[in-house]
Amino acid sequence: MSAHLLEVIDAGLGATFQDRGRAGWRRFGVPPSGAMDDHAAGWANVLLDNPPTAPVVELLLQGAKFLALHDCWIAVCGADAGASVLMWRAVRLSAGEEIRFSRIRSGVWTYLAVEGGFDAPLLLGSASVYARGRLGTPLVRGDVLLRVPGAPFRLPASVAGRSVAWEERRNYDATPLLRVWPGPQWDSFSEADRAAFLEQTWTVTPQSDRVGYRLSGRPLAPGQWQMVSEPLRVGTVQVPEDGQPIVMMRDGPTVGGYPKIGVVDAHDVARLAQSRPGRSVKFRLAAQTAV
Amino acid sequence: MDWIPYGPHAALVRFAGKIGDETFAQACAIRTELERNPPEGLLEFVPACTTVLLEFSAREVPSLDAAMPDILEQLQMAAAVALPPEPVKEISVIYDGQDLERVARAHNLTTAEVCRLHAEPVYKVYLLGFAPGFPYLGDLDTRLHTPRLATPRARVPAGSVAIGGQHTGIYTVDTPGGWNIIGHTPAKIFDTARRSPDNDEAMFLLKQGDRVKFVKSNRP
Repeated sequence: MSAHLLEVIDAGLGATFQDRGRAGWRRFGVPPSGAMDDHAAGWANVLLDNPPTAPVVELLLQGAKFLALHDCWIAVCGADAGASVLMWRAVRLSAGEEIRFSRIRSGVWTYLAVEGGFDAPLLLGSASVYARGRLGTPLVRGDVLLRVPGAPFRLPASVAGRSVAWEERRNYDATPLLRVWPGPQWDSFSEADRAAFLEQTWTVTPQSDRVGYRLSGRPLAPGQWQMVSEPLRVGTVQVPEDGQPIVMMRDGPTVGGYPKIGVVDAHDVARLAQSRPGRSVKFRLAAQTAV
Repeated sequence: MDWIPYGPHAALVRFAGKIGDETFAQACAIRTELERNPPEGLLEFVPACTTVLLEFSAREVPSLDAAMPDILEQLQMAAAVALPPEPVKEISVIYDGQDLERVARAHNLTTAEVCRLHAEPVYKVYLLGFAPGFPYLGDLDTRLHTPRLATPRARVPAGSVAIGGQHTGIYTVDTPGGWNIIGHTPAKIFDTARRSPDNDEAMFLLKQGDRVKFVKSNRP
């Protein structure tokens, strides 16, 4: 049985393999990477009985097109990019069939999983492509995507009826209320700026990508000039000189020199990731602290 | 040494106020301790010049307040003992960078003086960051401290030796970058091909705590 599953006809605005990311390499300057929306990527694997570590294809916005080279089960979850197949459910593809993602309607990142998982090369323990650091390369037209060798196509008959419950399908057009924990420099921001950070509605700017999401709003005054760089986390909110927060994302640098007002809760980073430029987000304090 | 929470299951340990030889020795001792005797439930640590981030498993370390006093004591004891310094790694440099003359002019030096001042010290690898394996080296002669470019270049080739503020460093991959390029090295600081199945660390020529000496080379 052929291991050739899909051919990339068009990579659209961006297509990469991602999994849960690479742990343990940040002290070598390597960010964790991994699916920007781990919630949607996780569901795509669950629908097909894949291990949670199985690589999926992450699509940015729209334009991707694939040709099925073999009959197989797939699942598409995440942003609504005008997929030509039903989303949030297991779908049977026949050889010769095309899947297209023609026009973005909601969200940013869409995930495509295949039964058994894609056979993607591992670097530093992960298939996640970190293009800026030259760890792996984005998919291009003509690439042939393989399934994991030896993985038997043995899904139960019931897979045909599987879909993700409606309450698990997030509305990416709503304004997410992101839980945020106080960052290392929380106390060096004035009370007024901490309140302004939590009370105002921020707008996601077009300068947002896998490295970081830049927000715009009423500027904050960075409380303290941070001259010595300190470690960053996925979700760390840095406030540079212009007072407009940057939330560090999965391909973000491992250290940074701006004051860090907060860190977005790990469960809510995916909600920010799916917020398109122009959409608004709000923060709320995750825990009771002395303000 | 103290710590503050950095999210629900992470601590930022601050062990020094400014960079220098003593801080560097402490950073090396702390990193070595975390590698050899990681506290229970530690998932990942990220060292910086004066701080180190510790991230814990929520299941194994339900309360930072309960766990951190012992961990701080462990790190304090480790930091009090100076480790023998790492041997000095020599890296050859061809001083032909496109910013070399501008850097020299900015400091009223000749390009030969810039090369001499840059190749003179034994540098400390304070941390790896910015890109895989990219070393932040210090201490750079104060006469060479040069601000980063106002507008970063779209592409700086791997191997470029550059000055950014008070640090010098080596680009490890082709990437956008704003440091002043004064030369290049044929050494592959980060190379995904250089590894064995059980030693991914071999991809990285340098690690935090290493010492580096640049050797001027005249080969093109």
